[in-house]
Amino acid sequence: MATRLPLSDVKVLDFMWVLAGPGITRAMADYGATIIRIESTQRVDPTRTVGPFKDNNTNPEFSALYGNNNAGKLGLSLDLSKPEARAIVLDLVRWADVVSESFSPKAMRNWGFDYESLRAVKPDIIMISSCLMGQTGPLARFAGFGNLAAALCGFYNLVGWPDRSPSGPYSAYTDYIAPRFGLAALMAALIHRKRTGQGQYIDQAQAESALQLLTLPILDSVASGRKYSPIGNDDLEHAPHGIYPAAGDDRWVAIACRTDDQWRALCTAMTQPQLADDSRFGTFAARRAHREELDRLVGEWTARRTPQDTEQMLQASGVPAHTVANTFDANDDPQLRHRGHFVPVNHAVAGETFVESSRYRFSRTPADVTRASNALGQHNQYVLEKVLGYSDDRISELVAGGVLG
Amino acid sequence: MLNGCRVLDLTTDRGLMCGQMLGDLGADVIKVEPPGGSPVRAMKPFFADEPGPERSVYWWAYNRNKRGITLNLETAVGRDLFRQLVKSADILIESDNPGHLAAAGLGYSDLSAINPALVYVSITPFGQDGPKASYADSDLIVMAASGVLILYGDEDRPPVRMSVPQAYLHACADATGAALIAYYDRLNSGLGQHVDVAAQQSLGLAQQSTLLAATVGGDETRRMAGGVKMGPIRVPLVWEAKDGLVTCVFLFGSALGVFTRKMMNFIYEKGFCDQATRDKDWIAYADMLLTGREPFEEYERVKGVVAAFLRSMTKAESFELAREHGFLIAPLATTDDVLANPQFIAREYWQTIEDRELGLKLTYPGPFARLSTTPITYQRRPPRVGEHNREIYLGDLGLSDREVSNLIEQGVI
Repeated sequence: MATRLPLSDVKVLDFMWVLAGPGITRAMADYGATIIRIESTQRVDPTRTVGPFKDNNTNPEFSALYGNNNAGKLGLSLDLSKPEARAIVLDLVRWADVVSESFSPKAMRNWGFDYESLRAVKPDIIMISSCLMGQTGPLARFAGFGNLAAALCGFYNLVGWPDRSPSGPYSAYTDYIAPRFGLAALMAALIHRKRTGQGQYIDQAQAESALQLLTLPILDSVASGRKYSPIGNDDLEHAPHGIYPAAGDDRWVAIACRTDDQWRALCTAMTQPQLADDSRFGTFAARRAHREELDRLVGEWTARRTPQDTEQMLQASGVPAHTVANTFDANDDPQLRHRGHFVPVNHAVAGETFVESSRYRFSRTPADVTRASNALGQHNQYVLEKVLGYSDDRISELVAGGVLG
Repeated sequence: MLNGCRVLDLTTDRGLMCGQMLGDLGADVIKVEPPGGSPVRAMKPFFADEPGPERSVYWWAYNRNKRGITLNLETAVGRDLFRQLVKSADILIESDNPGHLAAAGLGYSDLSAINPALVYVSITPFGQDGPKASYADSDLIVMAASGVLILYGDEDRPPVRMSVPQAYLHACADATGAALIAYYDRLNSGLGQHVDVAAQQSLGLAQQSTLLAATVGGDETRRMAGGVKMGPIRVPLVWEAKDGLVTCVFLFGSALGVFTRKMMNFIYEKGFCDQATRDKDWIAYADMLLTGREPFEEYERVKGVVAAFLRSMTKAESFELAREHGFLIAPLATTDDVLANPQFIAREYWQTIEDRELGLKLTYPGPFARLSTTPITYQRRPPRVGEHNREIYLGDLGLSDREVSNLIEQGVI
């Protein structure tokens, strides 16, 4: 018998789009929440236009990015410029426990869907707004993508080489951080509501969530005046510590010796045990002082073998090492396979495709990741008929009036 | 809002932020350290570069809103005391290697027998079981294994990580959401469970689903200096301004091409390009490149136009333009710039917690979300070693002064 999923009593009316918002409701769908996702027929979700695409087909229904962020959700397409569409939304607000949105501030207000208006319809509603810089302040209306917030938060200036301009983190970094914090805030609000019956409004600035990950340099620079800038792959505590070349095109292996014992084990694996007693490398401080020479010696050894060979040999001796995995390595990774990381799902238009699994495992109520993302308008009939109980006539009228786009 | 929720935090450096987030949300978080203090207190950087158990900035960073006790779990007496604490706990967080706590009789099955409602959260690099579960790890190793690292850096050099550790912070934030989903379930079912968080998988979310490319038969994404290569298309994200660097999104398609069209109109008006360049089909542009209707040399030329436009302005000037016209441009901030950003100041984001003994005000990034009914507040600075021993052992467990003195003598606390 299927176990009752943790959030099976939670209903979410979801206006979230692009990257940072939908990650929150994807996680809730994994654990049983019913998510009805409103898609505007006026403005396509940008992630439907971004890859990777299944079989490199750029049809918006083939985006694995959209599919991964929205697996397990029901989709209702609406033309929100029409009053009939807004009436449907208010019916869904009465149905919902949570309303979530990630437009730039003002959009919800313009439709009449701001928190005060929704609360008048449903007094205990929880509403979460997630946007780049927050609902208030001089930059409230500065909209855009996570790479802009990542730049404003200082992440870009922390990735790169000391002798060059910063490389920056990969793409829209704060979009990958914010959903985790948004989920925690929303779950806390749901717990509070379960206990007290009170709803509330959550204003999540993606930048303010993401800055939690820079607490260390911020505390340190205020307290000690230290300046932070990119230091390549150096580490304050460990040496050797770096990314070393491996046999093949753009192949690399990561090695991080955290202790003198691990360094000795590395020397043994390299069949150069004498290096362990070399005065240039005997202690962490010495190794860090001579790190150019150290990195050259390690790199000469790693360059002759595949990254997987180095990883396995060093891990067998207790030395932290791993292939710098690309998408092909991930697809073949025995650990990700063991965890069932890539999950097949059947999409209404794209056919069999894959999404990533829940990032955590629950022992008693494991995640249910079996449903693909919605095709545009896929669940219109279901939502209007089964969830809202609209009559066939009324649904036909809505279709004829172009309300569903 | 999590008041009444008791959390026992046994984590090492891998898991500290999870308990901090729960503490921010109002839970009563008790950080349990070995006598003498957590090894994290020996981690750099130190305040004014002077080592000391109360001076590790790493410790400060992720232990606010917690109380702290010491307890030696290597001793039978210590483990018994811990089991007493487990009876009244709601959530336990740990980040030891898989099997470590079970070997001490403190694994999930041991503790759920004492308290079936306990939510037991484990944060590890690769998860509780599987071929890599016992791999040696570090921030760099997890970044490499997750598929994130290969995307960072310049194409002519090895991949490069962020210069401050990140991997486990993603896992900790995931663990917090997971703990609360399990706790919510327990309010319905009365039952706890084991939540197994793998940092390798957490970082899957940090790469815009590019990890799925091979599995679904899509193009591989690769790193390049200050940007990214999506298939054959080289997308710059870092651009030069007159006085430094900015990020600018210059992309195509039905959603992103709209921003590009708007910016190209402006670039034309300012005399940086001709009409034909302005009027390219920015919606279909990526397809035009991929199908050969637009040569890649022409894409390079157009990027040169955008580069000349951005180079003609200071960071502040182009950011002002972005705010006025909705362009996707922002300056690359330093830590000092972040602290001075008028947005964070206007929202009173930065929070200070005073540490009287050190004569210092610690400045933290503020609440990770603004909750209207149950706002996040920063109530406690990070605990000193054993700071709340008496409060918890005498108050909560009801031990006598004499019993506590004995435990101190025996090296248990």
